[in-house]
Amino acid sequence: MTLTAILGGTLVVVALTMVATRFLGRNAGWLAAAGLGALAFAVALRVPEILEATGVVREAVPWIPSLDIALRLRLDGLSALFLIIVLGIGALVMAYSARYLSERNVHPHTGYFTWMLLFAFAMTGLVLADDLVLLFVFWELTTLSSFFLINRSGDRAGGPAVRTLLVTGFGGLALLFAVVLIVVRTGTTVVSEALVHEVWASDPGFTAGIAVLVALAAMTKSAQFPFHMWLPDAMVAPTPVSAYLHAAAMVKAGIYLMLLFSPALGGTIVWQSILISTGLLTAVMGAIFAMRRFDLKEIMAYSTVSQLGLIVAVIGIGTPAALATAALYTLAHALFKSSLFMIVGVIDIQAGTRDIRLLRGLWARMPVTFVTTLLAGLSMAGVFPLLGFISKEYLLGQTLEPGGPAWLGALLTAIAVIGAILTFAYTGRILLGAFSGYQGTQRVDEDLDTQRMPEEVKEASPAFIGSALLPSLLGLILGPAIVVLHPIMGAAGSAAAGEPYSASFALFGGLTIELALSVTIIALGTLAIVLRRPLDRILERRILPFTAIGVVEAVRTGAIALGTRMGNATRTDAPSSHLAAPWILIGVIAAAAIATAPSAGAVIQDAEPWTDALLLGLLLVTVLPAVITRQRFTALILVGGAGFVVALWFFALGAIDVGVTQLLVELLTVVALVLILRRLPAVFHSVTRARQALTAAIALGVGVAATAVTLAFTGRRDMSPVGQYFLDEVYVDTGGTNVVNTILVDYRALDTFGELTVIAVAGIVLMGILATRPMLPERTPDLKAWAGTALMRSVDNTLPIRVVARWAAPVIILLSFHLFWRGHYEVGGGFIAALVGATGFALAYLGAPTDRGAPVAWPYRGLLSAGIIVGVASGVGGYAVGSFLRPIRWDIPLPWGGEYAFTSALIFDVGVYLAVLAIIIAVINELGGVRERETKLSTEGVSEQRSKQESKGGVR
Amino acid sequence: MSLALSIGVLAAAGVFLVLQRGMIRIILGFVLLTHAVNLLIIAAGGVSRRDAPFFGGDTSQAADPLPQAFVLTAIVIAFAITVVLATFAVVGRRDDDTEAGNGSPQQSEVDGELDAQLDSEHDSEHDSEHESEGERR
Amino acid sequence: MINIVELLLPLFVGAPLLLGGILFVVPRHHPLQLIMGMGSLLALLGGAIVLLILTFDGTILVHQIALWPGGISIPFVADSFSSLILVVAAIVSVISFHYMIASGEAQSPSIASLVLILAGGVAGALLTADLFNLFVFIEVMLLPSYGLLLFLSRRGDMAASRLYVTVNLLASTLFLAGVGLIYAVQGTVNLAALAGAGDDPATAIATAVCLGALAVKASVFPVHGWLARAYGSASPAVAALFSGLHTKVAVYVVYRISSVVFEGDGAWMTAIMVVAALTLAVGAFVALGESEIRPLMLFQMVSGIGFILIGVALFTPEGLTAGIVYMVHHMVVMASLLLIASAIEQTYGSGRLDRVAGLRTREPLLTAAFVISALSLAGLPPFSGFVAKYALVLASAGAGQILIAGLLIVVSLLSLMSLMRVWADMFNGKRHKDVELLAAEERIRQREGLFDGEVIDTDTAAAEAAHALERHGPPRGVLASGDPHDHRGTRIPLRLVIPALMLSGLSVGLGFGGEFLLQLAEHASSVLTDTSGYVGAVMGR
Repeated sequence: MTLTAILGGTLVVVALTMVATRFLGRNAGWLAAAGLGALAFAVALRVPEILEATGVVREAVPWIPSLDIALRLRLDGLSALFLIIVLGIGALVMAYSARYLSERNVHPHTGYFTWMLLFAFAMTGLVLADDLVLLFVFWELTTLSSFFLINRSGDRAGGPAVRTLLVTGFGGLALLFAVVLIVVRTGTTVVSEALVHEVWASDPGFTAGIAVLVALAAMTKSAQFPFHMWLPDAMVAPTPVSAYLHAAAMVKAGIYLMLLFSPALGGTIVWQSILISTGLLTAVMGAIFAMRRFDLKEIMAYSTVSQLGLIVAVIGIGTPAALATAALYTLAHALFKSSLFMIVGVIDIQAGTRDIRLLRGLWARMPVTFVTTLLAGLSMAGVFPLLGFISKEYLLGQTLEPGGPAWLGALLTAIAVIGAILTFAYTGRILLGAFSGYQGTQRVDEDLDTQRMPEEVKEASPAFIGSALLPSLLGLILGPAIVVLHPIMGAAGSAAAGEPYSASFALFGGLTIELALSVTIIALGTLAIVLRRPLDRILERRILPFTAIGVVEAVRTGAIALGTRMGNATRTDAPSSHLAAPWILIGVIAAAAIATAPSAGAVIQDAEPWTDALLLGLLLVTVLPAVITRQRFTALILVGGAGFVVALWFFALGAIDVGVTQLLVELLTVVALVLILRRLPAVFHSVTRARQALTAAIALGVGVAATAVTLAFTGRRDMSPVGQYFLDEVYVDTGGTNVVNTILVDYRALDTFGELTVIAVAGIVLMGILATRPMLPERTPDLKAWAGTALMRSVDNTLPIRVVARWAAPVIILLSFHLFWRGHYEVGGGFIAALVGATGFALAYLGAPTDRGAPVAWPYRGLLSAGIIVGVASGVGGYAVGSFLRPIRWDIPLPWGGEYAFTSALIFDVGVYLAVLAIIIAVINELGGVRERETKLSTEGVSEQRSKQESKGGVR
Repeated sequence: MSLALSIGVLAAAGVFLVLQRGMIRIILGFVLLTHAVNLLIIAAGGVSRRDAPFFGGDTSQAADPLPQAFVLTAIVIAFAITVVLATFAVVGRRDDDTEAGNGSPQQSEVDGELDAQLDSEHDSEHDSEHESEGERR
Repeated sequence: MINIVELLLPLFVGAPLLLGGILFVVPRHHPLQLIMGMGSLLALLGGAIVLLILTFDGTILVHQIALWPGGISIPFVADSFSSLILVVAAIVSVISFHYMIASGEAQSPSIASLVLILAGGVAGALLTADLFNLFVFIEVMLLPSYGLLLFLSRRGDMAASRLYVTVNLLASTLFLAGVGLIYAVQGTVNLAALAGAGDDPATAIATAVCLGALAVKASVFPVHGWLARAYGSASPAVAALFSGLHTKVAVYVVYRISSVVFEGDGAWMTAIMVVAALTLAVGAFVALGESEIRPLMLFQMVSGIGFILIGVALFTPEGLTAGIVYMVHHMVVMASLLLIASAIEQTYGSGRLDRVAGLRTREPLLTAAFVISALSLAGLPPFSGFVAKYALVLASAGAGQILIAGLLIVVSLLSLMSLMRVWADMFNGKRHKDVELLAAEERIRQREGLFDGEVIDTDTAAAEAAHALERHGPPRGVLASGDPHDHRGTRIPLRLVIPALMLSGLSVGLGFGGEFLLQLAEHASSVLTDTSGYVGAVMGR
């Protein structure tokens, strides 16, 4: 069976089981067990191929070639060993789940099985991966599946799940960083190639950095101090989950990673010191914590932490023998710990609790369970002749010669021995606590859950306990039959060491120091069990001033608080603060400008006429007061004035059309704003002095910058070639003579087209807003005082304007058409014509006695859309002569001789005319508040006057 | 020189007004800012040649027509946007104040109107409290 | 074939605008509104895909509008970069509009036309090679946006809308000033004619002003604050639409200008790098601190802008490719997350993390969509986010920017944390007592079209809530109340979840099919690293 097939096979098992749960409920576990077991067997069949030295099976399926990512799979001794553990234990746990899970079929355990098997898939991929990126992908997949498995178990599971994800996710990102750096340096993503690259030897700094990152990743996954907290935290998950992920498989991913990288990192001082120190520290600490717990599952969790610590430490030593030992220990631990976890589940189900303070006398009621626990426990405690005994002996053997000074070996061994003694002790705590009357010391601060152990506890069904018994039996058999493990362990060792190595473990290696140590351990361990009550009292005291969970939470909440504070800086809708920020960027650019001191060439400018200075003066006298005044109306008028001065500037600079447009637009802007000022307070809102100063400073800076940039950048080149082209070619190209206008409707009609769209949409937006939201009420002054005077009689006081309007309106309309037609040749064109026409309407409005009288009830919505449609239509018409918006020309002979050179650009200009005209009518009607008053008549003093007028028949 | 100074004055005044409170001032500020930019664009074409760009006759002193076309477009677009801004100023809960309360959703239409009235009379007290409310939320 | 398509390029703008204009006068509830709206968006997507296929081999489609000589007329250009972004933009528009139809928002007056005109503006901004014309099209994008923002916003006050308009107006004004300065120095605003002009310091400064203005639009640090406020007040669907179009168009132009004008000139790219790094870090932190789902997502988006800009700041082929990949991925995933947020808000009446809970067991499909999108955004395999983030980190490290690479990774953890907050608070846990009441009020508001300020009397709301409780009975088997699987009461309607599902499905596809995306991005980046083809085509040489 190819590796790809094995990997795919796990996915098949996922799919099958998902479907099966619908019909079989929890019994789908049997199916899954069979599937995983078969796969494990398939792997075992391929083991012989890899037993020859350097015997490796490789396969590759391309995935993302551009990044050199492929589904590269590799089977060597190391991966074979872990694969068999993952699949074998997986099969056992699946079988176990089939009895552990509740029978209640309201919601079949689809989710549970799916995630468990997805995790099996991820682990399979992880240990098979021969591609750094693929390795990371599966690494994160294991994290995710464990996250969802924890998260879905009950309401209290949320917190632990998230914490687990954050800690292991952090490790994963460390791995990602390592992967990226390795890929960049070695130029390959193939694990087995990257790890033998010469850079590891040549660049110690790089190697050290990678060592730290990989160690971080592995330590988070294998729950090493200070990342150990998540493992006990994760015990909220159902027991099978703990048995599989948190004892046999997932926590071993870290171990696998360390073994995998040993060829490259092994022997470097950073790697060794990190692994050995944290490993031993974790081993002792975890054991001590285990001694202080009462929940069997928690004891198991801490025991796992401690055992993994020993493995990490021995990996740190890094000799081939040490690595082989680590592999052996991994297997032994997988066997006894999974068995122990499953037993905890059995006890939990059968006795209704797993608290050693409640459990008593089970040894008689559940003999099989007791025996199973005994076998697994003794293996864990390292008692002859179980597999655990051998692994521990060889582990101690390794700590004796770590290389380096002799005292080091002694020290390490001493610590390891302490760990081993404690292991022995808490094994006793488990056995006695669960099966005899031992309760540990009552702690007052711990609330003991009320439910007592039921009186009649029955032994679990064989199907249930069987899957727990099997691994512990294996531990018993494999001890004496250690020889059968030599080949695979040798292969694993040589794979991890990167050099051929043949393992030879012996059950009894003669009278060695290790043996002596074992005896001491057992002796002192027994003593600790005998003296357990005083010992418990000593251990009650808190050892660390803080809990690891607390630390993680503190970091998390701290980060959140920091984020909130950063967010407060911008948490306001006031535009001022957001409109000030951009000037920071502009300031930086200005600084850059000063630094680079750009020169756009020499100034070519003859002395400016005196009128320029005059214009500047006019500008100052309009702008400065406009800034200072607090009267809204005054400010508006002054700004309008400034607009007219700007128009004069345009005239002075030869921009006639622009000047005219500017004048008209200014006029209409003022009209529009006057309309809304009626509804607003008379004076501006006041702001603090400090803010005035600050804004003034910013404004000043911008002003200076603007002046400087104008002086530095403009007027330093001759006419641009484009501009010259227009001046020369305009008549030939377009038949027009008003160059600016031809640019607008011929050369750059697309701009104009976009702009007329903008106008139309602005009109639509205007109407839409006022249709959905009420305008503010008018703030009409108190008119009582004026009662009876002409001021109150709008018919009278608008007389002059109406007189003007009456004769002016037609003239204006005619003028507007005239301007339109000549636009192509003289000053004028669509904009100007429309604007002029519009001023006619503005005049009519101002002249009207009432708001209702004024409006020209034209369908301006229709006009707006007509504007766009005409524009596009003429544009599409251009295709007749080859392109969008290409003007079509033909000369129409005029009756009085000569001919009018007609161009379709005029049609386009009609679109502009319509849109501009329409929006202005819209503004006058909408902002004028006509529609509003049609709906509701306001009940202010003046409105009676109005209604009278209307009853007299207001012009409509 | 005068042109450059005019642009500077318009820009400064515009920025100052834009950074004040209340939509009207912001609108007026943008109007001035737009003037500044438009003049800048015309200046970009060079100000040494000042004849209106018409075909025929001597165009040696004719100004660069392209910036003028740009400005024409820009003016009209600016007008359209000003209209929208103006509309934004006269709808809503209170007056055109841009910093009052930051529109806390709890506030009902009614007292919105009330506040608006109050604003018009005694501006300053009202503002100060609203401002403090406005900055932090 | 090529020539015909080139000739038709202007219609990518013309057609949507024309239809938009026509829809203004079509009655509000007339089926044409939706048919033409969705139809032409799909047509736009189709056209964009055609462009992508034609330009994939490096062909550059150019049309000098109205056939004036090169350098005189406004050129429309479609190359593998603009086509790719156009395709994704079209996808986002289609899906957002689909959501608007599903949520009934598309029924509001002239929404369809505004969306169409917005899309047309986007097409124009992506296709034009003339800076002033670009300014015009940015305005064509903005005006409909003001309408969409306000018509569909149910905030009674105008604060946020005013903020949005003013900030964008300032940005446009700055951009226009920058264009003016460029013309002052170079005497042209034709992008191709400006090729390599960045060597001249004056031109560089002038261009920098334009980039600054675009930075405001893209809401990068220190101008990052306005976006979340403004989009926060819009209808969520609109926020999704904008996040896919506005900021991304700004980023697109930054890419284009940096490559054509600056040709990746070191100093300026370093500046962009600094801004980008600050943006992605600050954005992620602020997102972590938010307590409502939408601002949280919006600041995630700000952070994402930083990620995208890193790509151009590196300006290596790998960097640009990675940046473009990230851009595509981000447009898709962000839209998905915002649509998820909007489904929650519009069904349960609140987006606050502490008001809505227990969605995981209640809303399996929504949960699936959220999990995929969130993990994808955090950059976890096997989703599009992983390919994008890995490529970007690899490119940074490859360019010797180890610190940046590290920063990217750390920030990913921050994003993961903030997304986990949403998960822990909204998806885990037991739903709150008052959630039914909230949902009822929301339904009433939608029905009556009330603004958030207006108060609803409690009896009506209570009645509505009770009605909902009996209307949606439990799915299978009556369960004890308090059971997490008790599904009585308000549920998110399927039609609101489908758009997000489609997008997250796309994210999965782009994750496994990462090679496809990378190929597209590589071709896109090739026109950025070597602009000679672009310039030659535009100048008609």
